[in-house]
Formats: sequence, structure tokens, C-alpha cells
Amino acid sequence: MSTNRAQYLQQLWDLLAPVPEGLRKEWMYDYEEHFRMAAAQGRSDAEAASELGDPRQIARELLLGYRVEEAARSGRISSVSRAVLTTVSMGFFNLIFVLGPYVALLAVIIALWAVVAALAVSSLFAIYEGLFGEAFNRVQGAFIAMTLIGLSMLAGAGMKVVTRGFMRMTVNYLKFNSRIIGGRAK
Amino acid sequence: MNVQFKKGVLDLCVLALTAWEDRYGYELAVAMSSKFEVAVGSVYPLLNRLTQEGYFSTYLRESPEGPPRKYYKLTPQGHSHLMALITEWRSFSIAVDEIIKEGVER
Repeated sequence: MSTNRAQYLQQLWDLLAPVPEGLRKEWMYDYEEHFRMAAAQGRSDAEAASELGDPRQIARELLLGYRVEEAARSGRISSVSRAVLTTVSMGFFNLIFVLGPYVALLAVIIALWAVVAALAVSSLFAIYEGLFGEAFNRVQGAFIAMTLIGLSMLAGAGMKVVTRGFMRMTVNYLKFNSRIIGGRAK
Repeated sequence: MNVQFKKGVLDLCVLALTAWEDRYGYELAVAMSSKFEVAVGSVYPLLNRLTQEGYFSTYLRESPEGPPRKYYKLTPQGHSHLMALITEWRSFSIAVDEIIKEGVER
């Protein structure tokens, strides 16, 4: 195996570090095979490497597919955000049309969750105020606290649905987006 | 070929190539890149994505020369996805043809 081939494959392997080893080996097989087939047809490793293109570009495309798929499977904020950031690394267009709206909408969702938390916390204050404060008596305090907890639970349930929907929507858009930009020109 | 034309149909074409027989990656990469001017290297990520989405399954099969090759096989899900894409493509291309006939070739 020439250094050219070994170097290329090693670089690609290293770039794919975030992907679990089993899957990574499976992917690498295509590129190893590509070098072998090209050699069998009398082309040099240098030629094979240049028709494959920059390993960094290949790694970006592979990672994008992987991250989007991961995000679709788990639907968690962390993996969806990672998929968004990988998409953004694909080009300037995505910086504006993907990251911008995502960050803005995520901020709204976080703010709404803060409201849910505030409702829950304020029920504790109502209890405290009912027991020790001047503003209202124990019974009033208990009722206010129950109302606040009820509201926070309802809002929390609603927000759970909204958050899940937002994550699903984001993943679908990323899938659509990666199909649009996939298939780099020669 | 116009990049905008190409991007939408790569999935369709690579799935179509495997409709009757399983093919190995290199075969698909060469076939796609000779027809569509896509970089050979970008066909493999496409194959992997379609595999992750459940449209392909892969297996290794012995080859007469050298180590085993990795074959791509269309799954039942891939097959129905392909059929849906073909239907979409047909109605799209008919619509474009009609417009060309009406507007240009009259």
C-alpha cells in the first residue's frame, strides 16, 4: 500500500472520530475498495485519491448524514443542535438560513420553559407567604400555590409537545437541506 | 449538467441502478459520476445516507480477484421509496415537456 493511499485512509479515519467504530469501519470499506478497484484498473493511488476528492469534504458529508440520522432517532435537543451545527459547517448559506432561525426559535422555547419553571417556583413562594407572610392567610396561600402548580404542569405538558414538534420539524428540514446540497459537483 | 437539475434526482438514480441487481459501491460511483458529473467521492456518502435511512442494506461478497466487495441491496422500503420517486419524476418531466412544447416548439 503506497503512502498516498495509507495517508488518505488514515486522515479520513481520524476525521470520522465522532462516529462509532463499527459504523466507521463499514464506511471506510467503500474507500478502501475504491483504491483497490482503481489500482486493478491500472490507475495510481494519486489519481484515485484526486477523483475521490478532499477527505475533509467527504468526512463532512458523512458526518452530516450521521448527525441528522442520530437527531432523527433521539429527537433530543443536544443531538439536534449537533446536527444543526454540522449542517452549518457545510457552508455560508446554512449559517444564515439554518443556524439563525434555529437559534432564534430555540431561544423562544427556552424562554417559555423558563416561564414554566417560574410558575412552579412561585407556588413555593405562595406557600411561604401563606404560612409566614402578611399578604394572605394559609388557606388562600394553599389555593394560590395549587393553582400555580396546576398552571405550571399544564404549561409544561404543552411545552413538551411544542419542543418535540420543533425538534422533529428541525430534523425534517435538515434532511431536506442535506438532500439539496448533497452531490457535490466534479 | 445544471447543478440544480442534478441534485434532486441523485437519490432516484442510485436507487434505480440497484432495482434489478445488487451492485458494489465502486460500480455505482463510476456509473453515477460518468452520467451526472458528480465527484466519485460524493457518491459514497450518498450511499451511506440511503443505507442509514433504511433504503439499502449492505453485505460483503467474495470477488474472483482480491478481497470481498461491499454490495448494496435495495430493501423493500427502498423499493417502495424508489417507486414513489419515479412517479414524482414522471409527472414532473411530463409537465416540463408540455411547457416546452407549448412555449417553444409550436
